Amino acid sequence: MTIVDRLLTIVRRLLHPESAPPLLGPEELQRLFVARYRWFRELLTANSNTLEAMAELETALRDGRTLSMTFIRARCTLVMVNVYKIIGNLNRIADGRYSELERAFDRLQHSIETLLAGEQSRDDGELVLALDRIGRAQAGLTGEKMANLGEAGAIEGIRIPPGFALTSAATRLFFQRNQLYPKINHIIQQMDIANLKDLHRKSGAIQELIRTSPLPPELESLIRTHFDRLAAAMPECRVAVRSSGLGEDLGHASFAGLYHTELDVGRDTLLDAYKAVLASKYTPRAISYRLAKGFRHEETEMCAGVLAMITATVSGVCYTRSIGGRSETLDLFFAPGGAKGIVDGTRSTGHLLIERMAPHAIVQRLEAEEGGGAGLTDAQATALAAIGMRLEHHFGAPQDIEWSIDPAGALYVLQSRPIPAVAASAAALVQPPPDDERILLHGGVTGCDGAGSGQVCIVRTSADMLRFPKRAVLVVKHPLPEWAPLLKRAAALVAETGSEAGHLATLSREFGLPSLLALPRATEVLRNGGTVTVDAASRTIYRGRIEELLHANAPRPNPMDGSPVQQVLINVLKLISPLNLTDPASPDFHASRCRTLHDITRFCHEKAVVEMFDSGNRTRFNKGAAKRLQDTLPLEWWVIDLGGGFVPAYDASRADIAITDIACAPMRAIWEGMHAVAWEGPPTARLRTLTSFLFQTAMRDGLDPSRSSALREKNYFLLSQKYCNLSVRLGYHYAMIEAMLGDRMSDRYITFRFKGGAAGEDQRVRRIELLTEVLEHFGYRIDRVGDALTARVERRDERFIVDRLKVLGYLTIHTRQLDMVMAEAGAEQFFRDRFIQEIGDMLNHE
Amino acid sequence: MSEQTCKLEAALKIHLLLVDDEPEFKEVMHKHLSRMGIRLSVSECCLDALELLEAHAVDVVIMDMNMPGMDGIQCLRKVKERWPLTEVIILTGHASVKSGIAGMESGAFDYCLKPIDVQELIEKIELAAQKALINQEDGTS
Repeated sequence: MTIVDRLLTIVRRLLHPESAPPLLGPEELQRLFVARYRWFRELLTANSNTLEAMAELETALRDGRTLSMTFIRARCTLVMVNVYKIIGNLNRIADGRYSELERAFDRLQHSIETLLAGEQSRDDGELVLALDRIGRAQAGLTGEKMANLGEAGAIEGIRIPPGFALTSAATRLFFQRNQLYPKINHIIQQMDIANLKDLHRKSGAIQELIRTSPLPPELESLIRTHFDRLAAAMPECRVAVRSSGLGEDLGHASFAGLYHTELDVGRDTLLDAYKAVLASKYTPRAISYRLAKGFRHEETEMCAGVLAMITATVSGVCYTRSIGGRSETLDLFFAPGGAKGIVDGTRSTGHLLIERMAPHAIVQRLEAEEGGGAGLTDAQATALAAIGMRLEHHFGAPQDIEWSIDPAGALYVLQSRPIPAVAASAAALVQPPPDDERILLHGGVTGCDGAGSGQVCIVRTSADMLRFPKRAVLVVKHPLPEWAPLLKRAAALVAETGSEAGHLATLSREFGLPSLLALPRATEVLRNGGTVTVDAASRTIYRGRIEELLHANAPRPNPMDGSPVQQVLINVLKLISPLNLTDPASPDFHASRCRTLHDITRFCHEKAVVEMFDSGNRTRFNKGAAKRLQDTLPLEWWVIDLGGGFVPAYDASRADIAITDIACAPMRAIWEGMHAVAWEGPPTARLRTLTSFLFQTAMRDGLDPSRSSALREKNYFLLSQKYCNLSVRLGYHYAMIEAMLGDRMSDRYITFRFKGGAAGEDQRVRRIELLTEVLEHFGYRIDRVGDALTARVERRDERFIVDRLKVLGYLTIHTRQLDMVMAEAGAEQFFRDRFIQEIGDMLNHE
Repeated sequence: MSEQTCKLEAALKIHLLLVDDEPEFKEVMHKHLSRMGIRLSVSECCLDALELLEAHAVDVVIMDMNMPGMDGIQCLRKVKERWPLTEVIILTGHASVKSGIAGMESGAFDYCLKPIDVQELIEKIELAAQKALINQEDGTS
């Protein structure tokens, strides 16, 4: 018979006195209690793991950092596994009396699994489609880019190159035939995205996998047939193979230039070029972009477009609503030859500002250096503006259009997509900077408004990328899309070439990253490691950090806003986070009322404490195990001995106990800290703050301070000679102290956990900050996630540990009911100084 | 053994079996655990692990759920069926709520996600070691 069976038998006997033996011996009771205590500790550990994972999910939603399905799935799984453990342990402690929780849990598990799985259905369709058969309706099959182009080609007066699309059905066939999905997922799930080296290595492995897998023969033959059809109409035909991802170009996420284009492809290299384009979905920059913008890898299925190459005499980009100029104008960037150098930002371009209204008068000419802007006549510029406005009218939103003109003067549209919605206008009117000796550079064009400061890091190679520090100023020669993975980490972007039309400039606007382009000599003047402030609006770079410029800088937009991954997170959090069961005294505080995982966690924690220490009447099992501690503070402290915690002379039949009867060194240290400085009672709040606090309290039923139930609640010390665990309610939130003071260094530690509260988010964060500062001051190591704090010290000498326990004792008493005053200006500073001073005096006193 | 027995002390008493086919991971774990003085055996797959378990007493098993050969859950169930006092920590690179809960239902001690935080895994090993030793004490006393 295992101990579990024996315990169950004992508990059953206790619950059904008619069959119970007369009495359990003290040893057996002790043994039973120790087992239950073990389950209780397992429950507490699972409880704090759950809260940590929940806080990570909430923080990810709030701060908009890189979110991925892998992250969400992993954290949800941790939450579920730990809640499962909590329920199991509670039922062990309570002899299965809370089995109803399992139903609530199963329901939530099913709903969360469904949300995480997402909708799997996809359009099935033809493998290859000629461009003249494609319109917006086929976007789910051909990707946005080819769907838009096909649709544009159907508009009267607009010419597009002939070509065909390789659809998502073709990609799926290829991937499924080679079992690429599970293989790729396996690699991605093990990727450490924060580690650029790992990202590069695994990205390389995935691309290699795709490039070396054979195409299904039926697909291969269809591709050749379509190519031969093109070649029949255009002898010597060369093609461009371009990416066209599903979900790409949706307005709020441009995927600008992230994927691959193969130019000048013939029949012999066509299949390899196709596979190279599909593989480019997994370049490091594309993987990190999808993560940063919240796209699932599987949602952005890659398709490809095969377009006949146009021999271009002049090419360019048109923004039908100017990014930097007046709102009634459009931008036209152009340079001789193909368009690649313009969107790569490697070539200097001519730039015209043209009226959006017909007859499209040219408002301003900004000629490029090195003759970059040669070769476009005014008549062609006007015609391009007209085409641009026609496309804007057709698609119903300002467009970003790539175009080329062939030697015969025929004008081709190569791509048309909406300008990303967040492409906030860069500074239209640039104020010349006042004379300032701190100015290092001035000039260039603003890619994205705002100011950023940090260490200069000049990036020339992939190896430089790996060394790029967080929040550094990214300085590059050319704004190539290769640098895209660094945008999320950078404080600002500076490039010697490029324009606001380049891909990297587009991406910088999406990320709200201040960027300054076409600033010659930037890589010479700026020195690696030096601190600078880049003010993109005034196109000026200053030496050092200039706070007033940074303060004027608007907060960055959350790049995840509106993304599918963010939506999944919002939906699963609805099943995880909200806390509906707040009042243990309410009749609604019942297993059947648990609607979220947080409800279950809260319910189980409460019931576990009750079952462990407060259920004397029901089970008669540990009646008398808890002793009320004699104390002058208006709080109830109860003590439970797990072995050796009381002095041998203590009379175990007593209902109360004095501190002098406690043999547990960690507890005595905490107790000393609690009593070292008299508590003045709750601090007084100003009326406004108090009103807002009462409002918040009223909004969360069960937290009514007028009941002063918080003061009457029981707080339990569990102890042995060297170990102490204190669960305490600090006003409206829980804290837990666990400490071990063994003979060996490795047996000495303190863990302090703290979470929650009734106050508003600002106050909670401020209170956490206050605690963090004080605890750090006294040598604690802090982990903070959202409003959850864990503080630790370990492996120190006995004196150090005892002193740190006194610090916690002090804080346990003196941070009670601080919520009310934390909203007041200066409160944090006041209390921090006072706490540090008083604790310092306390520790020095001895 | 008392409840307060140091976790590390428990870990030093146990025989740990790592079942994983990923060479880098095995190398990292081997380095850390042997430095700590933990007795470690390694198996490539579930079948090897079951053979080793037949031949030697093992207290704690760390097992990857996605290995060639047998389904991880099947393997876990076999281990718990045959050696109920042995504690199993499951690892996975493919977090899924379903597999996580299935693992716990099949008797896993804990669940860990790859890429592994080595400190976190060691912490779990110590707790599992403590539990395994208590199991043995209870199961035989």
